[in-house]
Amino acid sequence: MGKNEVASRLSAPVFMFEKLGSDSTFAGVKENLKNYLISKNMLSKRSLVGIRLSFQTLAVLLFMLIGVSAYAADPAVASSDEAIAAGKTVFNANCKQCHKLDQKSVGPALRGATDRQSADKVKSFIKNSTAVIASGDAYAVALFKEYNLQMPSHEFLSDDDLNNLLSYIEHGDKVDPAAAAAVTAGGEAGAATGGGIPSEYLTVILGVLVLVLVLILVVLGLIISVLTKYINKQDLPEDDKEFVSQKTDYGKIFKSDGFIIVVTALVIALVAKTALDGLYSVGVQQGYAPAQPIAFSHALHAGDKEIACQYCHTGVEIGRSANIPSPNICMNCHTHIQNVGGKEGVSPEIAKIYAAVENNQPIEWVRVHNLPDLAYFNHSQHVAVGGIECQTCHGPIQEMEVVKQHSALTMGWCIDCHRQTEIATEGNAYYDKLVQLHSDSKDALKVKDIGGLECAKCHY
Amino acid sequence: MKIAKALIFGGSALAISLLAGCKAGGDNQGLEYAPQMYHSVAYEPLTQIQDETTKGNLISTREDGKGEYFNSNINNPNGMNMREPVANTVPRNKQGYLPYRLKAFELEQAAVIKNPVESSEEVLKRGEVLFLQYCSACHGKTGQGDGKVGEVIGGVANLTGGAYVNLPEGHIFHVITKGKGRMGAHGSQIPEESRWKIVHYVKQVIQGQATAAAPAPAADSTAVAQVTPAN
Repeated sequence: MGKNEVASRLSAPVFMFEKLGSDSTFAGVKENLKNYLISKNMLSKRSLVGIRLSFQTLAVLLFMLIGVSAYAADPAVASSDEAIAAGKTVFNANCKQCHKLDQKSVGPALRGATDRQSADKVKSFIKNSTAVIASGDAYAVALFKEYNLQMPSHEFLSDDDLNNLLSYIEHGDKVDPAAAAAVTAGGEAGAATGGGIPSEYLTVILGVLVLVLVLILVVLGLIISVLTKYINKQDLPEDDKEFVSQKTDYGKIFKSDGFIIVVTALVIALVAKTALDGLYSVGVQQGYAPAQPIAFSHALHAGDKEIACQYCHTGVEIGRSANIPSPNICMNCHTHIQNVGGKEGVSPEIAKIYAAVENNQPIEWVRVHNLPDLAYFNHSQHVAVGGIECQTCHGPIQEMEVVKQHSALTMGWCIDCHRQTEIATEGNAYYDKLVQLHSDSKDALKVKDIGGLECAKCHY
Repeated sequence: MKIAKALIFGGSALAISLLAGCKAGGDNQGLEYAPQMYHSVAYEPLTQIQDETTKGNLISTREDGKGEYFNSNINNPNGMNMREPVANTVPRNKQGYLPYRLKAFELEQAAVIKNPVESSEEVLKRGEVLFLQYCSACHGKTGQGDGKVGEVIGGVANLTGGAYVNLPEGHIFHVITKGKGRMGAHGSQIPEESRWKIVHYVKQVIQGQATAAAPAPAADSTAVAQVTPAN
């Protein structure tokens, strides 16, 4: 292993070796090298290179080079830059979803494929893996058993494509493991600091501001005391002296009628406001955020992962209710994702889905939004016809760890919106006549204009 | 005088704290006035309260003597209010679609099915919306298999890749319905007509192929019934 590889990849050091020829003696090697370097004007006669050039150094260098190329490839696989670049395009379009070059992914790591198998076999596997597995090829069958997935056939790839692909697989995008580790470590450190900066800055700025204010207070106090002392030393008329040395009588202020009246009024206002607020909140569940049987995070699913609301709440555009997804929808992804953030093992929360599916038992989510039975509400009318975003009523769901009732869901809240919202009439023939009838009015056509305030629209 | 003052202050403090307790938040649902108005006696599909004993207020008017909030169908498995359709029945629909009965592995039979939905600007527009809702999380907004969920799951098809570009419409429909490889079955989530619209969008916009002449025989519902295998 290794020889071809090194030779093809790094020509400069190898060139040196060729120059060294077959001179076997130690001193001879040294002398030869020195002459070569001097002839290339790289060295002055007095000092050699910084590093002592000895056979050991060269040996270490050689081993390092071999270490970089841990896999060897079939020598028939071309390693020209054009072939690698062309192969990369093929790889990105067809392979990268399941394969990585040096890591196991959904499918095996690809580098060294032509070392493990002949290039022709690899090609026929890429073209039609099903046929190769069916033919009983031991290696292919073992692969299929290990990954338990069949690769789609790639008959459309031409022989040139396949050759280029193989050169990319074997020679493309090589990563020095140490450098890669450093990069990922650096990246993680960068990400860790990246999130916290703004809030930290805010605290620091606030702290500095407070400190400055306190300092100003102290300085002002000092100035006052210095000035008072100075004035006291002067010869002053009686009036002024009294003014300078007067003391405020706080007790008197507290007992004054004005003070008592102001304080009483404030207290009464506060009590009245709290009482009214409290009374108004009777029967309003705004802010209700119950703990759910599974700690499902909308912030993770709808926020980070950008899954559309409708993916799980399937009824929202076709029916009255938005629907709570059944576990089979969870399992579309969680068959494969068993823990959060790529951790090992099964997360206890995700395990609850598995238990529900296995025992055929419903997950008993706690209902958050509970519109009284006396009012009719239909999601599809608002979302599909009205084109209202989910967040308009449900708030920033994509940021909620635990779902909270964002809106009051009172009649006043509904009516307010019906008074203000213009109807999305464009492209909806249902509204054509209504728009025509309304065309005399100066205002836009709003929900209130087509019966959005009628009692029987919602209460029947 | 002092006692009166203390009473006033104490009383108002008590009132404030009591009224503040009416407000909902966290696990507290807040105070309800006339809970009978809020809690349905009829079965609610997305509500299930199996607590039979809690009485909401002093006058309970339920005939069965159960608590105010009880809302659960004791005749259903797990006391659910929802029921699955009765076995061996076929739901009727406007389009006249019959149930899709091909098994997950019967891809070859599925591939010959034609798209019963006629393609139009509107259908493509709707297809895009549906694709973004149901597919883009894994397959990416442009179908290149680069969605954020797809990154985690791995092995998501690049719909513009050579292995997928020339797949027939019936094949795409079948894979959406039944799943394939690492993809789960989405038949329960997306109505049949919507799935066909997604197929149109994938074929014509994402894979950039003009629709194959005309899926003409889909004009009336009987033709659909012939085309859609129902055994």
